[in-house]
Amino acid sequence: MAKQPGSNKITTSSTAEYFSKNLQQVGFSSQTKAILTTLKEAVDNALDACEEHGILPEISILVEKVGQGSLKNSDQIRIRVEDNGPGIDPEDVPKVFGEYLASSKFGRGRCSRGQQGIGISAATTWAQLTSAIGARVTTKTKSMRKALSCLVEVDIKHNRGVLKDRAMFDWDRAHGTAVEFVVDGRVQLNGEAGLLNYLSGTTLVNPHLTLTYKLPDFEPHRVDRVSTSIPEIPEATEPHPHTMKLGEFIAHSHLFGRVKVNAWLKKGFSRVNEGTLKDLSQGGFPASLLEKSVDSLGDTQFKNLFVALQNLKLMAPSTKSVISIGEEGFAKSIKRLGAIDFFAVVSRKPTICDFKPVQIEVAVARLEDRSVEAESAAQVLRFANRVPLQFDKSSCAIVHAIESVNWRSYGIVQPKNALPQGPYIVAVSVVSPFIKFKNASKETIDASDELVEEIRRALIQAGQKLSKHIRREVKANELEEKIRHIEQFCPILVDGLCRITEASAARRKKAEDGLVKILGRDAHVTKTELDEAHAVLEAQKSSILADEIIAEEVRD
Amino acid sequence: MPSTDQNIPKLSKELCSRLLSDLERAKRPVLYATKCSLDNSIYNHRNGYLTPGPKKVATELNVSSVKKMARAIFMLEVLLRNIDTGAVNTKRELYYISKGEIKHNPSLRALDFADQNESDDIIDFICEMLECYREELNCYANDRGGQTYSQQLVVTETLPDGDKAVVDLSKLGTTPFQPKNRPQNLKLSARKKIDFCLIVESEGTANTLVANGFTKRHASILLGAQGVPSNAVRGWCKLIQDQLSVPLYFFGDLDAYTMQNIFRTLKAGSAASLIRNSDYSAPDVRFLGVLPEDIKKYDLNDYPVKENDAQEVRALKKAHDALKNDPFFQDKKNKGLAQILRWLLENKRRCEQQAFFTVDPRDPTMPEKIIVDKIKRGNFV
Repeated sequence: MAKQPGSNKITTSSTAEYFSKNLQQVGFSSQTKAILTTLKEAVDNALDACEEHGILPEISILVEKVGQGSLKNSDQIRIRVEDNGPGIDPEDVPKVFGEYLASSKFGRGRCSRGQQGIGISAATTWAQLTSAIGARVTTKTKSMRKALSCLVEVDIKHNRGVLKDRAMFDWDRAHGTAVEFVVDGRVQLNGEAGLLNYLSGTTLVNPHLTLTYKLPDFEPHRVDRVSTSIPEIPEATEPHPHTMKLGEFIAHSHLFGRVKVNAWLKKGFSRVNEGTLKDLSQGGFPASLLEKSVDSLGDTQFKNLFVALQNLKLMAPSTKSVISIGEEGFAKSIKRLGAIDFFAVVSRKPTICDFKPVQIEVAVARLEDRSVEAESAAQVLRFANRVPLQFDKSSCAIVHAIESVNWRSYGIVQPKNALPQGPYIVAVSVVSPFIKFKNASKETIDASDELVEEIRRALIQAGQKLSKHIRREVKANELEEKIRHIEQFCPILVDGLCRITEASAARRKKAEDGLVKILGRDAHVTKTELDEAHAVLEAQKSSILADEIIAEEVRD
Repeated sequence: MPSTDQNIPKLSKELCSRLLSDLERAKRPVLYATKCSLDNSIYNHRNGYLTPGPKKVATELNVSSVKKMARAIFMLEVLLRNIDTGAVNTKRELYYISKGEIKHNPSLRALDFADQNESDDIIDFICEMLECYREELNCYANDRGGQTYSQQLVVTETLPDGDKAVVDLSKLGTTPFQPKNRPQNLKLSARKKIDFCLIVESEGTANTLVANGFTKRHASILLGAQGVPSNAVRGWCKLIQDQLSVPLYFFGDLDAYTMQNIFRTLKAGSAASLIRNSDYSAPDVRFLGVLPEDIKKYDLNDYPVKENDAQEVRALKKAHDALKNDPFFQDKKNKGLAQILRWLLENKRRCEQQAFFTVDPRDPTMPEKIIVDKIKRGNFV
C-alpha cells in the first residue's frame, strides 16, 4: 500500500509492481549481477524441471553481445538457455515467466533450487525494463505435436503474464524448453562472481548434467555428464511445528478447511501423532478443543495450541527430504573443474540443524595449476540446494565454518582465523528444504552455530582425508631433499675437514664413502616412511572402491 | 673443556680429525656441547657465579644436520685463517666474507647464507663445539656500554703487536674510557687509593653524576652499564674486582628486570653464557639500590607495574620462576636479593633510579649524596 503523490489516498500495489521497483532485492543490483542472475534463474528452472520428471538434463547456454544497451555503459546481451526438460503446458507459460509468486514449489518442503517463483519473472521484468521486450519462450511437451513459440511479458499493474506473438511450429525434439532474454548489462566472465565460476560450480554439484555453453570471446564448450543417475526427489514432508511461527501456523490451518483440530495436527504436521495429542491434554490443553473444527478456533485458542505444541518435546523432523549429490558423483564431478593433484570428498549423513533437516557435502581438491599465488586464498565454492552462491561471501555460514577449521594440521597454509591458502578448491554444498538465507536473492546462508558446526565437521573429515595425500607428498619431498643434501654437502664437508687436518687424498675418499653410507641409511628410513604413507593412501583408496562396489551391488 | 687462544687451532684440528676418522669408519660422528640453560646451571657462593652442570647437547651428523656441519667447517676455516693472521672481524663482516668466498668458489654455493642470522648461528655453534668465546675466534662485537670515569685509574693495554698503551683516565677530561670486549689484555693500576667503584644502570645518569663532579669529590671509578651488560662491561667489572680489590656497588632501577637480567648477569653471569661466566662476572658487586626501603625512607616516586606492558609482566613471571628454579636466588648467601624479588612480586610496584632526583629537585648533587651516604652506612644488599 502507498499514498499517491499529492493526495492522502492509500493505494495497493501488485506484487509485480513491488518487485519491478525493487529488483535489486532479487539479484539485479548491478549490471554484471543482472546477467548472472538471469542466467542462473533460467538454468535453475531447467534443472528442477528435468529432475522432477526423471530426465537426465542437457542444457545449452548462449550468452552474446548484440549491441549497445540503453543503460549507461551497458551492452545489450542475449541470454538463451535451452533444455531437454518436460516442456511447459502452454497455459502455464504466462504464469511461469510472467507472474510473481506463481510456483509449483512454494512451501512444499523440498530441496528444489527454486522456491518462491520470483526469479524468472524478475528476469523477464528486467528484460522488459531495459530492452522493452520480455522473454522469448519456446516449449514443447511430450503430448504436443508442435512447439509453442511466444513472447511473455509481465503485466506489472496486475501481476500477470501476457503472451504475445504466439506461433506453433515443428521443433526437431520430443520435448524441452528454450527461453531467451535480451537484457542490458555487462558480462563478467572471471572472478568469484563471474559466469565461468557459476558454470563450473553448477557442473560440480550436478554430476548428471551435460552442459554446452558459448560465452563472449570463448569457443563453444561442452561438459559431459559423469553420472547417469538422476537424484531421487524425496517426498515432500509436512512442516514440523517447531519450525513455524504463529502466523504460519494459523495460515497453515486454512489449507485444511473443516476438519477436527486433532485430525489437522496429525495430518498437517510431521512428528505429531496420537501420543503428542495425549501429551497436549496432559499438559493442560483442553481435550475438548482438539475435537472442535479447526476453522472455529479463535486467535487466542490458536495461540494457546501453538504455545502448548512449542513446549512439548517432539521428535526432530525427518531427514528423508534432503537430496544428496553423493560422494561418488561429487568425486567424479570435481575432476571436471580442471586438472587436480588429489582430492577428498565427504558426504555427511543428513542431520538436523536448527530443527531443520540438512545435509552437508564437501569436496576439497588441490589443483595442478600452480599459477595462483601461494598466498592467495583457496577458491571457495558455496552451494545452497545445488545452486552456486557467488556474493556476500564473508557473512556466509560456509565461509565461517571453513575459517574455523585448523587447516594447518592437515599441511595446508592458513593465516589465523582465515581461509586456507594455496591452489586448493573447497566446495561445500548445503542441502535442505528450509535453508535460511540472509536475503531474498539467496546469496548467502545465515551462520547459525549448529549449521556452522555441522559444516565444520564435514570439512574436518575432508581435511583428514586430504592430509594423507599431503603427508605422502611431504615424505616424497623429504626424500628428494635428503638425497639432494647428501649429494651437495658430503663432498664439501669432507673437503673442509681434509683441508683443516691436512689429510691425504686416500683418507678423503674413504671418509666420503663413509659419509655417503651413513646418510644413505637416513634416506632409506625416509623411503620406508614414504612407502608406509603410500600404503595408507592405497588402503584408503581400496576401501572407497570397496564401498563403491557394495553400493553398485545394492543398486543392482 | 675451556679453551684458550693458543689451543683454538689445536682443538679445531683435533675435532676435525675425530670427525674424519669417524667418517672413514662409516661411524656416525656425534658432537657434544655444554647445555647452556638454567636447568644445567650450578651456583656455589664460593665461586660466586653460575657454572655448567653435567648436561650436554649432542649433535649427531645425519641428513638433516649435514648442511649445518658443512657450513660450520667452512666457517671454522675462515676463523682459523683469521687467528693465523691476527685479523679480527664482526659477525656482520664474517657474513660478507662467507658470501665472498662462496661467490668466488661456485662449488660452495649450496652453503650460501640467506641472511646474517644463519651465519651468526653457525658461529655460535662453533663456539659451543669448541667451548670458547667468540672473541677467542677473533670475532668481536661492537663495544657497548661501560663508559668509565675516574681521577685515579690508569689502564695499560697490551696491543696485538706487543706494544703497550697507557691510558690515565684523569687526563681524559669529560671523555670516558671505553672498555674493550677483550678485557684480558688490560692491566689496571691506581694513582691513588680508590675507595669504591659505582656501576650505574643508566649511562645517562652516570654521565650526569660525573658532570656534577662525583669523580672529583670521591676517589672512585664510575661507569655506566647501559642496560643489560655486554661482555665488555662484564669483563671490565671482573677486571676491576680482581686487579684493584675495591668494593663494587650497582645502582639501578628497582624492578624484576633489573634484578634478574642486569644485576644477576653482572654479578654471577647468565645461563646462556655458562661457559664464560668465570671470566665475565664480578661476584663481589653489591646491590646499592634502589632498595624497597629507600622508597619510604626518601619518599621516592614509585608506580605500579603496568599490566599491559608485556616486558614487565614477563619479568615478573620470570621472577616467580627464578625464586623456584634459579640456583643464584635460591642460595642462602643471596637471601637479601631473593627478598627484593619477593617484594617486587608481592607489591607489583617499581621505582626508577632517577627517582632520587625528586628528593631535592633544586639540588643536582642530591642523588650523589644519597649514594655516598648509603655506601657509608652499609645500606646495600
